[in-house]
Amino acid sequence: MEKKFLSLISLMIFFSCERDDICIVSVTESPDLIILMLDQDNLNNRKTPAGFSIRALGTQNILPGNISDSLTLPLKIQKNYVQFEFILNLGLDNENIDTLQINYKRIDNFINVACGYRSNYILETSPVIILNPGDNWIKGFTILKDTISDERRAHLGILH
Amino acid sequence: MKGVHIWVFYISFLVSFQLLIGQQKDETVSIEVSDSSSASEKTPLSLRFGVDLYRVILSQVSDDFNGIEIVSDLRLGENFFLALELGDTKTTKEVDQVNFTTSGNYYKLGFDYNMNENLKGMNNDIYIGLRFASSNHTQVLNSYTILDRSRFWPSSDLPVDIGYATGERSNLNAQWIEVVCGFKVQLLKNIYMGLSLRLNRLLKDKIPENFDNIYIPGFNKKTEENKFGAGFNYTLTYIIPFRSKKK
Repeated sequence: MEKKFLSLISLMIFFSCERDDICIVSVTESPDLIILMLDQDNLNNRKTPAGFSIRALGTQNILPGNISDSLTLPLKIQKNYVQFEFILNLGLDNENIDTLQINYKRIDNFINVACGYRSNYILETSPVIILNPGDNWIKGFTILKDTISDERRAHLGILH
Repeated sequence: MKGVHIWVFYISFLVSFQLLIGQQKDETVSIEVSDSSSASEKTPLSLRFGVDLYRVILSQVSDDFNGIEIVSDLRLGENFFLALELGDTKTTKEVDQVNFTTSGNYYKLGFDYNMNENLKGMNNDIYIGLRFASSNHTQVLNSYTILDRSRFWPSSDLPVDIGYATGERSNLNAQWIEVVCGFKVQLLKNIYMGLSLRLNRLLKDKIPENFDNIYIPGFNKKTEENKFGAGFNYTLTYIIPFRSKKK
């Protein structure tokens, strides 16, 4: 009887040991904004601008991924907008910088205790403001998918 | 803080176990004494009630815990007890990526079966038992962090503590069963001290919107994959023998 009692106690102590929760790598994080650079004359055509570069305003970090006709831009969690400089003809005499502000709403969804929350975003109806109106090489914008919940397809088209 | 809890647990465990062993050494003495009164053997029906000292102490020493648990049992037979625990808890916890406050109350109803063969004049129980338990509670999400491995923007690791998913989720509940084992030791004529360990199995819980019942009053921490929890109490109880019946 005492043996049974002791084994029951040790079983309970065993079960009451808490394991550490780990956020496993396969859990997808908050999605980035996918942008396509489109030909203003033919919206079905992707077109990489000449001497194209992008700088993020508010950080020294270099954008991950290629700067081409398809872009992956990380959104800010702390704010409901991000600002980038879109640079045409980088380093040349006819360099042209358009500063864009992208506006969005954020929704946080629970994943689990270890990972916390994942943010999804919804682009505002006027998703982009050009902060330096005047001689702009970017001619317009088109929303391809206003809900940013994954990185499977592009969300925003930039016309030039 | 966690260290303190563990020590309180171990110390009380050792103290009560020694009391139990100490009393059993007196067996030979008890036999001689009780032999003379064997003619008037009675099984007293009795109500025992008290409080969980662990929760009382923890409420005093911890800023993040405020709770009480009232315990009681009613002796229905030689070794059979009807048991009821009532509790109220408010606790703030930080678990991994979330900080939340759980508040609510619970009841646990079931039975204890004593396996200890007492010698005459002794009333110590070593028991196993079963409970059905139910809680009504509220979860308030105080702050959380957002999964962002690249950390491209500065301070993206700062917790969100206002708006968005934070706030209260009320009218939640949970039901579970507990397997209990423990002992009750007679300290004085009417005073008992007890320790019980509990293994909990969740049956059902109402999940708070866009969050989870990470902690449930009375059940304690819920693990994600399986639905087990564990707990214990350390009780001081007073017994009222209110009826006797002939054996």
